[in-house]
Amino acid sequence: MKIYAYGIIDSHNSLKEPIAGLEGKGIYNVSYRDIGITVSELNEETKEITDTYILEHERIVERLMEDFTVLPMRFLTIFNTKEDILSMAELYYEDFKDNLARLHNKVEFGMKVIWPADTIKQRIIDVYHKTKHNVSISTESPAKTFVKEKFQEHIIEKEFQEEANRCIAVVDDYFNKIACEKKLKRLQTENLLLNASYLVDKQRQNDFKQAFEQLKNTPGDLKFLFSGSWPCYNFVTLTKKVASFDYFNTEDMLNRLLAQQGFAKERNAV
Amino acid sequence: MDRPIKTLQDKNSYLDLHRQERVTLLEVLDRALDKGVVISGDIVISVADVDLIYLGLKVLLSSVETMERLRGAPMAGAQEEPT
Repeated sequence: MKIYAYGIIDSHNSLKEPIAGLEGKGIYNVSYRDIGITVSELNEETKEITDTYILEHERIVERLMEDFTVLPMRFLTIFNTKEDILSMAELYYEDFKDNLARLHNKVEFGMKVIWPADTIKQRIIDVYHKTKHNVSISTESPAKTFVKEKFQEHIIEKEFQEEANRCIAVVDDYFNKIACEKKLKRLQTENLLLNASYLVDKQRQNDFKQAFEQLKNTPGDLKFLFSGSWPCYNFVTLTKKVASFDYFNTEDMLNRLLAQQGFAKERNAV
Repeated sequence: MDRPIKTLQDKNSYLDLHRQERVTLLEVLDRALDKGVVISGDIVISVADVDLIYLGLKVLLSSVETMERLRGAPMAGAQEEPT
């Protein structure tokens, strides 16, 4: 029997109500000092883990959030023994305490902003061609034309980046005064202008949603994918570094598996 | 599952239920696969035959944007609301 971990909670007490975990196994709390690690047993024969498991993981973490402050474990964090769990808790105790205090009464919201990159670039190019920077290809030497074309590309790309920054600033401004913390990833692809996570006090969730309503009703080219509230996955910060070489690197493994199946380009395009 | 975790609602009813679940799954994947409490390897193991873990997910491991493109459907009007 392995032990599957769902999250670190701010209580060392037993759970008041039974909660079903993966495969219907009951969740219990492994206490360490004044915190706990919520776990359930996992059948060692389990081999076919599907998308249902990750949704279950999420559902369980959310259920725990109803009663506790939770630091969600990464999906598929599995221990061999209870002693391993306690060793982990001892090692990360201070980190866990800091995070539990910081994330107490907080939730995470996600927002993806998609913009029509091709249209934006075309607009920039059109404007560029109306300016004195316009490249006159016909009478120039090939070398000079090449340099001018490169310069043009540079200017257009620079303007594209600046336009992205301007749009992100406008969007972000809607939430700046409401969110406690934020993580902004800009232009992960040309069309994915912003992939943002905001940490919000539970009492301010409605303010945050209202801000989003205002934002989404703003006329423009941007499209929004808003989700939440979520457990604070993006805001758990551990100061102790992962040291072991047999660390289960999900991202690397994922890319390798997808590459084997011809999905690498699709994922890399995200 | 006793409920969809978070249904991203579309005011134009653009997303059917299946797609909503997929978008939800994408959002969960975006978080739970490599964020949260990520601890050291001595006590973290992979489940045997890991390939199987992802076989069921491979189609979903793309951005919403890519998913839309693959499905040949535009994103127009796909504004989601807080749930």
